[in-house]
Amino acid sequence: MSHIYMPHQMEITEIIDETPDTRTLKLVFKDEGVRESFSFKAGQFGLFSVYGAGECTFDICSSPTWKDHIECCFRKVGKVTSALWRLEQGDLVGFRGPYGNWFPVDEFKGKNIVFIAGGIAFPPIRGVLWNCVDLRDQFKDITIVYGARTVSDLVYKYELEEWEKRDDVSLVKTVDPGGETPDWDGKIGFVPTVLEQAAPSSENAVALVCGPPIMIKFTLPVLTKLGFSDDRIYSTLENRMKCGVGKCGRCNIADVYVCKEGPVFTAEQMKVLPPEY
Amino acid sequence: MEHRTLAGDGLPALIDELIKKGMRVIAPTQRNGDLAFGQVSSSAEAVLDYFLCKRSAKEIVFPRTEAILGFDRSGGEVKVEPPSMQFPETVVVGARPCDAASLPILDHIFTWDCDDELFTRRREATTVIGLTCTTADNFCFCTSVGLSPDNTAGSDILLTQLEDGQFFVEVVTDKGEKLAAELGELFREGGDESARQKAGEKARALVTRSVDVSKAKGWLDDHFDDEMWESWMTCLGCGACTFVCPTCHCFDIVDEVQGLSGHRCKNWDACTFWHFTVHASGHNPRDVQYKRYRQRILHKFRYYKDRFGVTLCTGCGRCSRHCPVGIDIAEVLETAAGSAAS
Amino acid sequence: MSKGLQDIARELLEKGEVQVVVGWGAVKADPDRTRPILVTDPDEVGELVWNPRCVNNLAVYLTKAKSDVQALGKAAIVAKGCDVKAITGLIQEMQFSRDDLVIIGVACKGVVSDGSLWQGELTEENRDLKCRFCDVRTPRTYDHLVGEEVPPVDAEDDWKDVRELEEKTPRERWDYWQEQFERCIRCYACRQACPFCYCTRCIADKTLPRWIESGQHPRANLAWNIIRAMHLAGRCVECGECERVCPVGIPLNLLNRELAKEVAVEYGYRAGYDSEAPPPFATYREEDDQSFIR
Repeated sequence: MSHIYMPHQMEITEIIDETPDTRTLKLVFKDEGVRESFSFKAGQFGLFSVYGAGECTFDICSSPTWKDHIECCFRKVGKVTSALWRLEQGDLVGFRGPYGNWFPVDEFKGKNIVFIAGGIAFPPIRGVLWNCVDLRDQFKDITIVYGARTVSDLVYKYELEEWEKRDDVSLVKTVDPGGETPDWDGKIGFVPTVLEQAAPSSENAVALVCGPPIMIKFTLPVLTKLGFSDDRIYSTLENRMKCGVGKCGRCNIADVYVCKEGPVFTAEQMKVLPPEY
Repeated sequence: MEHRTLAGDGLPALIDELIKKGMRVIAPTQRNGDLAFGQVSSSAEAVLDYFLCKRSAKEIVFPRTEAILGFDRSGGEVKVEPPSMQFPETVVVGARPCDAASLPILDHIFTWDCDDELFTRRREATTVIGLTCTTADNFCFCTSVGLSPDNTAGSDILLTQLEDGQFFVEVVTDKGEKLAAELGELFREGGDESARQKAGEKARALVTRSVDVSKAKGWLDDHFDDEMWESWMTCLGCGACTFVCPTCHCFDIVDEVQGLSGHRCKNWDACTFWHFTVHASGHNPRDVQYKRYRQRILHKFRYYKDRFGVTLCTGCGRCSRHCPVGIDIAEVLETAAGSAAS
Repeated sequence: MSKGLQDIARELLEKGEVQVVVGWGAVKADPDRTRPILVTDPDEVGELVWNPRCVNNLAVYLTKAKSDVQALGKAAIVAKGCDVKAITGLIQEMQFSRDDLVIIGVACKGVVSDGSLWQGELTEENRDLKCRFCDVRTPRTYDHLVGEEVPPVDAEDDWKDVRELEEKTPRERWDYWQEQFERCIRCYACRQACPFCYCTRCIADKTLPRWIESGQHPRANLAWNIIRAMHLAGRCVECGECERVCPVGIPLNLLNRELAKEVAVEYGYRAGYDSEAPPPFATYREEDDQSFIR
């Protein structure tokens, strides 16, 4: 007899340093049965844990189209992330999930998609982005606007290069003024401003936005100006969570359990919630 | 189900019989000057002529702290073990109706969408013998939340002492029926229903406080932002109200380590604590205390009701009695209901 | 008595000398209790009361931890002599300066924590323990005084409660506290009611490392209660609020008094009397005893 809080065991198969304090872990289920049966959808999250340090909530930032492993990306800020940082290839990580809702990728078929991300909030976007790119012919134009404070704060730099080379994806990368390096070849400016300049068409399009609250706050009016209605703007809420399964009462906003009805919400859905995120 | 009768001096015998049958009996008991629900090894330890325990009965099914798994790295690789999910057959004797009623209210959160087996298994192993109230104070307001001092909600068997001293035995659930069958000799067949009704009326008359909770909810529904909340700025941000509450159920999941081994634990937590919602970035969606207190009220009287159709409160009044700064939950509701009227 | 207080509060608010008066008011549902209230409107000063049921130490609302109360503006506080001791300590610890605050002192002959025991008459039986040897029945500092000056109790603290504890063997003492702490539910009412527990991030909430486990078991409960007591040694003014608010009745003031006695004996110092005095645990002297460092 087990219970809902028991994690699966996963092994770290690869560690990729993204920035001086941000890291990606590639993880594989120890149990073969789970490895075979596990599936998730882009936008869902999990509780990743180090035994002795605790659990931490991250979006699964790999694509559901990749069957052999999952990935998470984290910044070293607290107790659990510091413990995760100390782990090495081959070490064990606990995993519960997948939890929560997802980006309705099926509904995006035949549409133009604009992905907008800021800083460490690229990972939740990156899973759904790869999901769409892996099924490239099902979608129309794919535009990515990604910005960070400085060049060294950009995550997935190796993938940014790949996006730039591809002709079926258009990438606009930017860093905040002052965050550029001498050889920086991207834009300089805040994400909302750069998005407004890039002005992707809102016709037959959806926008997916993830970033710090301040970025979201200034990006939403730009999207409105570009013609995106609130029901076509998707984002994720990053409320603090503990159980992930609608019990512990931490992520509630009014009667909404962000861990169950979220973390993916449209701007329309978010606007009727009390401002507790 | 058939009613039965228990002799006026039958409660100690009932407890001793249950213990003899090998059951774990939990009853109000006095330890170190604190009246609390605890396991008793004989009827002599039980205190049944009482008002309310300071802490509620929720910890019988939702302990203050419980291991959800154990881990051990002394052998190099981490070994992870789930806890034993074998919970002993438990009978709670003498829970007041406001304590008993919290259990079916908590069932909603711990079983919606998926079951928290740590809760449900304990709950299944627990039979509740409720006891109709004989006292109340001005913080009691159970009758305002659809309950009463002689309500059967959450009790498997409810005992009500009649004027002649005997207990009227109401068997409420199948679980109660099973237990009553086992206690056949103590419970005499048949009961004086009119005396029960009279005792019920007398018990209900004890609760004089009356709040229009549905009117209050109507106001709460569209007053997330209101000056009223700021008037409770005196809230100190402790968790006394939530921890003594029979229905507050927020918890944390943390790892506790000793040397190379330890446990992942489910520990009580409280929305009134400042760090409850704080993000890793330092951003706190509920940045000042009155917003945290507002969450407690709205969760109980608006959100839970919207979500599960029941109010997250049994009107026991513990939070008001124990608030260090005298914030009275019924008064908060009265203020809300009053604002709705004006 | 309440009338004189209300007149002072009204004048302070009307003249704009303060923006908020922190005082006690009635609990509607229970006439035996009072509670803290924040009065910002001169027309609402009628809600202020002063009687032996006014047990709360309101100094807790003056610290930097209560930013929302501070945002209301300059405060006047209604304070008993023992509360003023806490205010003195907070000034000493630079939480605010004396000029930032108007103190409406109340002359006090004792308070009754179980308000139902006070029905107009203060007696040896109903008066709180802390009042038995009170030497601050008239507050040591105030800007306005409500009531006539009251002389201090003509007896010195006999530490009877502490001595009774000390007479036990170490083993008995250990068992005693283990039994007491066992039922701690970690609600932190003691901390939140304490004027001196103003840390922005309490050690109990820190996770890197986690010094005190949040689980409610004997190991963690002992750690929490002992660490809090140690942190208050030489600072606690023995107002007894922690003990009064504890929902499970742990005799926390006894623990704090044990340490206060240690500080009194070892350093000849008692907290809350002099805002200029160097606090014993925040003062270094070369001739300090260092024999305990090994």
